[in-house]
Amino acid sequence: MAAISFPSEAFFRELKRLMGERGERFRALGYFDVIFGVHVTPDRPGAPESRFVLGFDVFDCIRADAVAAFGNDVDFVLEGQLAVWREMLENIKGRGAADIAHGINTLTHFGDALRVRYDDPDGHDKLYRFAESIQEFFNLAAHVETTFPGVERAGATARA
Amino acid sequence: MAYFAHKDFFSDTGLYELVQRVMSGELTLSWYQPGTEPARCRPASAARGLTYADCNVGSYGYDAIPEFVRGKNSMAARGSLLWGTLPDIGYTVNRKSDVWSANVVALYEEAKTRRWAPAVDIPWSALAGSARPPVLEAATAQVCTVLEEIALVAMEAPGRWVYLINQEFLEVKSFLCGQMLDEARHVEVFRKRALTGGQGLKRASVPVEQALRELLAADTYPRTSLGINVVLGGLQVALFRHLAAIADNDADRRIFTLSLQDAARSVAYGVGALRCHLAAQPHQAHALCDHLLETEHTIAGVLGSPELCEPLIILSGGGLEAEQRGRGAARLRQWLRQTVDELFARLRHAGLGSYPQESRLPACFAAALAA
Amino acid sequence: MAYLSTRDFLDDKAYLDRWQYTLRTGELDLSWMNVATERIACRPQSPRRGLTFRDLDVGSYGFSEMPEIIRENRSFAPRGAAMPDGLPDAQADVNLKSEVWAYNVEGYYEEAMSRQWNATTDIPWAELAEIELPETIGKAYAQLLTFLTEVEMIATDVPAKWLGRLNADFFEVKNFIATQAMDEARHAEVFRKRALTTGFGLMCASPHNENNLKFLRDGDSFAEVSLGLHLQAEGMVLTLFRFSEFISPTEADKKLFRLVMQDEARHVGYGMQHLKWVIDHFPEKRETIHRYLDEAENFVFGAGYCTEVTEPFIILAGKGLKRENIAEGIRITRRFQLKQIEEYFERLTKCGLPERRERSKLARARELMQAALDTPVGS
Repeated sequence: MAAISFPSEAFFRELKRLMGERGERFRALGYFDVIFGVHVTPDRPGAPESRFVLGFDVFDCIRADAVAAFGNDVDFVLEGQLAVWREMLENIKGRGAADIAHGINTLTHFGDALRVRYDDPDGHDKLYRFAESIQEFFNLAAHVETTFPGVERAGATARA
Repeated sequence: MAYFAHKDFFSDTGLYELVQRVMSGELTLSWYQPGTEPARCRPASAARGLTYADCNVGSYGYDAIPEFVRGKNSMAARGSLLWGTLPDIGYTVNRKSDVWSANVVALYEEAKTRRWAPAVDIPWSALAGSARPPVLEAATAQVCTVLEEIALVAMEAPGRWVYLINQEFLEVKSFLCGQMLDEARHVEVFRKRALTGGQGLKRASVPVEQALRELLAADTYPRTSLGINVVLGGLQVALFRHLAAIADNDADRRIFTLSLQDAARSVAYGVGALRCHLAAQPHQAHALCDHLLETEHTIAGVLGSPELCEPLIILSGGGLEAEQRGRGAARLRQWLRQTVDELFARLRHAGLGSYPQESRLPACFAAALAA
Repeated sequence: MAYLSTRDFLDDKAYLDRWQYTLRTGELDLSWMNVATERIACRPQSPRRGLTFRDLDVGSYGFSEMPEIIRENRSFAPRGAAMPDGLPDAQADVNLKSEVWAYNVEGYYEEAMSRQWNATTDIPWAELAEIELPETIGKAYAQLLTFLTEVEMIATDVPAKWLGRLNADFFEVKNFIATQAMDEARHAEVFRKRALTTGFGLMCASPHNENNLKFLRDGDSFAEVSLGLHLQAEGMVLTLFRFSEFISPTEADKKLFRLVMQDEARHVGYGMQHLKWVIDHFPEKRETIHRYLDEAENFVFGAGYCTEVTEPFIILAGKGLKRENIAEGIRITRRFQLKQIEEYFERLTKCGLPERRERSKLARARELMQAALDTPVGS
């Protein structure tokens, strides 16, 4: 399998495809009805940033798009520097699933590594209503050969 | 026995005659042309199945329920033909905006699909023979003791009201049944967690229980929902999220993440119900603010109880050494700030924006959080 | 407010000072850590079954050692936890184990948790909506479904009414009640949805049965309502579900009734085991039980007025309205009614109440029905 670069629309579309292949697992977790954004911010001034919208309906990922800006339909956005996302994805790849220090909830909890942005508290609460499904979605990265742009990891740490 | 049949049917010759006629082939067919709406509902989404939203049609739908339900005091199915003398079952909650939420149908359907069973969905064997330090197990056991207390009350709250709510609000009552099941699950999982770590249960908490008893004793359903779903539910979301985030093993991470999902649904319903209530009864905003101001001290009762605060510090810092306790206290301060901010955000969003301005909580926390 | 905490925590300077000191310094009291509760590490006895309540039946935490009278705990304290002074009185009305307990209640709960099905997704609705039932069958079926959706949630409302009144030490029973509440909401849901997919919608309410529901709802003790609801009413409904499966017009409907039957059987199981517990431990309650059943059976017999239930059954069983269909339908319906009553007495006998048959007017009525079964329809 050819490696896919992160961050990219192709990466999230590959996760979408993998989710379709593992339908039973996601069906067992129940309805998954949320639209959220992933905002990869630059590690240094002048570096590019990327935004993606991921949409889920019933048991499927129905949308994985790169966008220039987030619209009102997004329930919340997970925002963090490239280095944090890289560390999380490498952890998932190495372990088959995120370990206790690299889960989405852990990384977002105090906003130190990843931050949760939202306008509507109801949208924010969807991060919790579908917590396990969201984690399982990111855990699919264990099946993706991922490359990252050459960036330094200074200043980006997960929970000690 | 409090209610008796209006006659002794064994002496009712009319009954015998009717039964004789019917069972000899003379059917009355009195029910055959009821004049109710024909309906053939179909799933809008094959993957989602046939939801209550798909059945929201005509006189059968929840959109058709009026604000005040009058003359329907039995358990007769909404949209069926009412005839004869139907008893008054005794419902005391008969106003739609006292119970309804725009998201209640979706949340009920979501609750059903996202069910889990603690007995088999938690990797209990991962805890067996764990090398986890006893002090962390003790702290976990103490937290779980308190969480079991909270779950018992959170299970009781919908139970207190479901039988008083008019059967026209079937979808709300069904959601409350889902809540009871969610909290039964939490009673179960926290008890099981406390009894697997080698420590057993710890100490019940006087301030927590006093606080819970007060929240439970609200005298209307809207106030109960505000206290239990938004306030207490919000605390549960914050606690479960924190405990999942700081979990040092997969079993605990899973316990608290799955519990978090359940609690977040209750919060979503509570906020939605509050919004619906205030939209139809805007004059209640002042009364509900007053209720919050009177009961907000229960938040301090729960969060400030030593039985919860101290083990959270230990778990947040990773142990009992001075440095660990200091780190744990710092994290807990941060968590408290976030928890109160989120509570205020939910209430503002639901239409109770004046409450945060009058609340005593920020002043109370200022001293502690200034460190 | 019906209850005020013994203090306003935000006005309690000592409480706040202590809390703030703890948050600022991380200095801990830790008196909770060394309380004199039993130290145990429960393990699953059966890995496939997982960690069950039965695995937790150990020492002071378990249900086996629970006494008949709960004297010490009137709060929300989990059974076995240390109980400091100052816990509030939760105002539990039911503090006697014999009022609520049932053999195997913990097993029924675990079974319920593992067997939760979903009325939205576990029935092939898209397929059912395309099936055109003939008018007589469709209307009869829609009427049967209307009756079923009407009565199911009494078994949510009644146990839920009692859930908060039970002592916290009976949490296995409370948890079982929570599963029953959900089961019955699911039943009301599946029958309503099925009626709304037949093409005919809902039909007529059932006044006599509504009065029976109120009788069940207004029982004045948990033991009484459990007897009436779980054993008598749900027992008879279980038989009805089995016959409904037998006369169902499609395979998908048969599946529907098999699923609801599973849940109902659990509730009946609890009711039977509860009655058995009561009779084993408190035989002096027999007379009270008989008096209650006298009235419960009065309602059962009065259901002869429910032509909106009997006649659809006849039409579905006989598969039509022609004379020969009705004759066959009546034959099957009589057999169902006899079976329903017979199974009811069998359950009571199994629970330790064999003398019920002798004293019951319903038993006498059954004998008349048996005689009528031998008499051809129309003669």
